[in-house]
Amino acid sequence: MNLTLPSTREEAWRWSDLSGLPALAEAEPQGGVIDTSDLWIGDGPRLLFVDGRLDNALSEPGDLIVGSVAAQSGHPLGRLATGEGWTLDLASNVAASGLIEIVHVATGGANHVPGYIRLGEGAQASIVETFVGDGWTNRLTAIAIGPEARLMRAIRLMQDTGFGSIREESEILNGGSLVTTILGAGAAGTRIDAEILLAGHGAYAEFGGALLARGTQRHDAAVVVRHAAEGGTSRQIWRAVADDRATASLAARVEVARGAQKTDGEQSLRGLLLKRAATINLKPELEIFADDVKCAHGATVGELDARALFYLESRGVPPVEAKALLTRAFVADALERIGEEAVHDAFLRDADTWLGAAA
Amino acid sequence: MLRIEDLHAEVDGKPILKGLTLALNAGEIHAIMGPNGAGKSTLAYVLGGRPGYEVTGGAVTFNGEDLLAMEPHERAAAGLFLGFQYPVEIPGVSNVQFLRTALNAQRRQRGEEELSGAEFLKLARTQADALGLSMDMLKRPVNVGFSGGEKKRNEMVQMGIIDPKLAILDETDSGLDIDALRTVGEGINRIMRTPDKAVLLITHYQRLLDYVRPDFVHVLAAGRIVRSGGPELAHELEREGYGAIAA
Repeated sequence: MNLTLPSTREEAWRWSDLSGLPALAEAEPQGGVIDTSDLWIGDGPRLLFVDGRLDNALSEPGDLIVGSVAAQSGHPLGRLATGEGWTLDLASNVAASGLIEIVHVATGGANHVPGYIRLGEGAQASIVETFVGDGWTNRLTAIAIGPEARLMRAIRLMQDTGFGSIREESEILNGGSLVTTILGAGAAGTRIDAEILLAGHGAYAEFGGALLARGTQRHDAAVVVRHAAEGGTSRQIWRAVADDRATASLAARVEVARGAQKTDGEQSLRGLLLKRAATINLKPELEIFADDVKCAHGATVGELDARALFYLESRGVPPVEAKALLTRAFVADALERIGEEAVHDAFLRDADTWLGAAA
Repeated sequence: MLRIEDLHAEVDGKPILKGLTLALNAGEIHAIMGPNGAGKSTLAYVLGGRPGYEVTGGAVTFNGEDLLAMEPHERAAAGLFLGFQYPVEIPGVSNVQFLRTALNAQRRQRGEEELSGAEFLKLARTQADALGLSMDMLKRPVNVGFSGGEKKRNEMVQMGIIDPKLAILDETDSGLDIDALRTVGEGINRIMRTPDKAVLLITHYQRLLDYVRPDFVHVLAAGRIVRSGGPELAHELEREGYGAIAA
């Protein structure tokens, strides 16, 4: 593969560290047996990809089809995800049979998998994706949401080492809804890229989550929401936590086209520094060409409230636990949007595991 | 129970406590009164171990242990409760979660068994009822959206749940109307008025002392105890003001 990666001199990639990718692209997966039993949340359709290949024995595709995928991208990382992948194509007014789960295990090297989701008018689905293991895992997901259709997505980036890059390209028609929540609570670097087009009247999009970084880890998210039609609503609620010398970066952009009147956009980007040597970069951007819109945006970076810490400690809570409790409270509202209780609980547990290790 | 000897402390390099000596025995309620700026809140924070309140001299023992050598959470586990003049709001953490975490952390430190969710809720309900706070309020984030009086009642609910040996209550009466004052006063008596406990009430005004009768009253001025006496001293202060007595 001819690997041409974007340079940090490009504005959209200035906070990324892709320097480890060429070596991973050359390396081979280690293979071996991986226990995924703790990673499944429900008992609906499921796919297990190991190093980018479907594990037939442990998968129960249900509505999902595995094969070549109708997704293409010009994105510098997303375009690498070609070939065999997964498709969910639901006809009008069909609801997926249960929570759909996709687990991606990597054992080193690099793997690229495309995905495609198409929901017909009024269709509904809820999909959870979990990434674990080592190596470079690269994904492209193209999403087409029909009128009044609803898609819930929850993504856990939990790799121990290597790098996880995901690229999402979504289009939402009249009254359709896309809610995506991402939790970065692994130890590997990540890059999250998303472009969401609210193409129909009254479309609804949420894209946000919690990114937790420690050591020298880097989380990096770049999201663009485009309002192209009237009456659309978008929410980008992100919480970033950086400990040690880690970096978490959020670039969130809202574009409102000339005709997209009555747009309601909100961005809330908040960063929490647990150590002075940690870094949080926030870049909220608004580009508005319509005159009757409501776009709220807020971006703040801070440390834990020393008064709240002392209050907790004065009641007997040890400092490590007090910090974890306050940090959990900080990230919790970014995970609140996960609709399925079992998924929400699983994500909170993963966040708690991360926080519990923050001694 | 508590022995403070020749305590000196400073905040931002500025000396506030300048040789404070005081002893509390089990079964006693002491009131410390004094004008603004005398060092009342500094005393409370120093005893609680708040960062930024630096002890520069003297000693404090709590049941024979060196209190100043303990971390704030260890002081709590040892039985010390600090009632805040301005209770802190903590968005995103419910009172129930906060208190259960706190109580079980204390029990763990003391080698006791943790309370289950059900046991804790029963205890919390009893204490909340006694102070006139609803369980709905206890399920809300800590002190967020609480009125001044509700925050102080919440401090007393916390005290009831934690059941400390020694309570240091910093201006617990400030911001309370007359009904809330009575409720809080009754709470202090109910929770703390036992032969094995002690209370240090820090207050500017005499009025809380109508409900919580102190055994001893001390006047703090310019960082030292300048007079000590019985409950009658509080009335004298109320009548004549701090100027005459602290001078």
